[in-house]
Amino acid sequence: MNTPSWKLPNLGFGVGLRSVHFNYLLDRYPKVDWFEIISENFMDSRGRPRYVLDQLAERYPIVMHGVSLSIGSTDPLNFEYLKKLKQLAKEIGAVWISDHLCWTGVNGLNTHDLLPVPLNDESLNHIVDRIRVVQDFLERPLVLENPSTYVAFADSTLSEWEFMGHMANEADCGLLLDVNNVYVSSVNHDFDPAQYIESVPHKRVVQFHLAGHTNYGTHLIDTHDGHVMEAVWELYRLAHQLTSGAATLLEWDANIPDFPILHAEVLKARNYVESKSILEVPTFLPEVVNAPASAISNPIHFMVPDAQ
Amino acid sequence: MSEQPRSLEIIESWVHAVITEPAGVVAGLGSEEARRNIEASVEDIEKVVTRSSRLTAIERLAIYNHSYFARLQECLRAEFPVLAHALGEQLFNLFTFEYLKNYPSRSYTLNHLGKNFARFLAETRPDCDAPPNARESWPDFIIDLATLEQAFSEIFDGPGVEGRQILDAGELLAIEQLHQARFLPVLCLKLLSFRYPVSQYFRAVRNQRDPALPQPSNTLLAMTRRDYTVVIYELSAQQYDLLSALVAGQSLQQQMSISSRTSGVDFQTPVPTAMSWIEDWTNKGFFVGIESRVRASERADASQ
Repeated sequence: MNTPSWKLPNLGFGVGLRSVHFNYLLDRYPKVDWFEIISENFMDSRGRPRYVLDQLAERYPIVMHGVSLSIGSTDPLNFEYLKKLKQLAKEIGAVWISDHLCWTGVNGLNTHDLLPVPLNDESLNHIVDRIRVVQDFLERPLVLENPSTYVAFADSTLSEWEFMGHMANEADCGLLLDVNNVYVSSVNHDFDPAQYIESVPHKRVVQFHLAGHTNYGTHLIDTHDGHVMEAVWELYRLAHQLTSGAATLLEWDANIPDFPILHAEVLKARNYVESKSILEVPTFLPEVVNAPASAISNPIHFMVPDAQ
Repeated sequence: MSEQPRSLEIIESWVHAVITEPAGVVAGLGSEEARRNIEASVEDIEKVVTRSSRLTAIERLAIYNHSYFARLQECLRAEFPVLAHALGEQLFNLFTFEYLKNYPSRSYTLNHLGKNFARFLAETRPDCDAPPNARESWPDFIIDLATLEQAFSEIFDGPGVEGRQILDAGELLAIEQLHQARFLPVLCLKLLSFRYPVSQYFRAVRNQRDPALPQPSNTLLAMTRRDYTVVIYELSAQQYDLLSALVAGQSLQQQMSISSRTSGVDFQTPVPTAMSWIEDWTNKGFFVGIESRVRASERADASQ
């Protein structure tokens, strides 16, 4: 089955909702196509974060993006978590729910990182089974994102794009194609990012992610702390052409700029989708530019209480 | 590809042991938990994790190992910014590193990450085995500050009463025998007792100042939330005792009777003074209502 049994809308160009922009958004309600929230920051909130979300949900389409589903873990699924996820989605009218192809912990412990799975038949079957259970519980399709990864396993027998394709088709789920993550992982694992983009099942791509990363010379880290790099824009253009377009979202989680700058960054995507030419995607590693001493493997999505 | 693929469970347990090892990846390979799942040394690590063209398998795993502690320490720094200021970066990193070793996250949310931090600091204070009167006092300040910041976070994002009707001070006038009334507190009201004036220090640091570490001084606080803003009130000992009694379900009359018996002295807070405090607390939004007047739905909420 290569065609989804469901249809989700192209929401246009959105941004990730971050608490530093709460006041700006409530004051102005700027023209934005849609927002993506980090599910875990709101599913237990009974304070200002939830109040702000409720205000925005009345005016904008909201998509829920999770970081703790841990679909690849061998621990049992957490149905208390899923219950809260489903409840929040119902209350805010979430257009869809996404998470990552990863595991976050095992044996009851949570690293709060997006850890890579070995890409082979066992993990594929395990994850497909769990996606089906989650989708049955949520009563809606799940959308899964390719994470940035830094290790690969000797026990892997599939490429990540093969794994994503089999997973999406067999589980009948959607794909969130993070173009920046494709590029980061391509450098870290020495594969061709264009081949990845060309190989995933394009009809199942519901959403794109764009973000900045940091170059450490020997590897890239998915830092979400700056502008989208040119190579990623070129991959995005390719992905857009192959998929006929999908909802596009910019993530920015560190050194977050004022909202107009953030919004302007995602609107750059229009220039790339309207231009037909595809430049060659750089597969070499550019020179190191201002990389800090160390970075964290995946961005932190932690809602900090407002200063009073 | 190894000859016999390892199970997903084995690989995940091994990776977890290696990347959460406080002493680093190489030590992680030799940890009991890692070896129980996969016997791999630095020399033959590539039978589990492959190298890239630019990084060895150890270097690649080290990205996750570094990130595990750095990510969670950054979250704790965001949850305890005033404590981080008081301790300084080096000491805060040391304390949080030890905390994460002893209290790893078991929750899907980072909002619970710091819930045991104050307890951990109390458990590990350098003089925890000494009798209370022989202890140094500075750990009290650190523990108090962690307790205050944890309470701040809980009140900020916990249940509140915004958008709901709460007791209005004007309603007090209509209540007969107010001294026998039982007040129902708002869900976000917390009463806290400290050994240091942590609220003053907390305010100063949150206002971008750099106050000197304070001297010990018993501090009693009422914390609540109004219009999604956490507010902190300092209380006298008599106010704290009365408010604690009211929150526990006693009436003003009961509290005064008990207070008189336990203190063994005749002195009591004059009723008019106590009444004026109750009016002030009502104006500050401490009470949902009087027990007999509270709607059934509010009682149900309060019992959650």
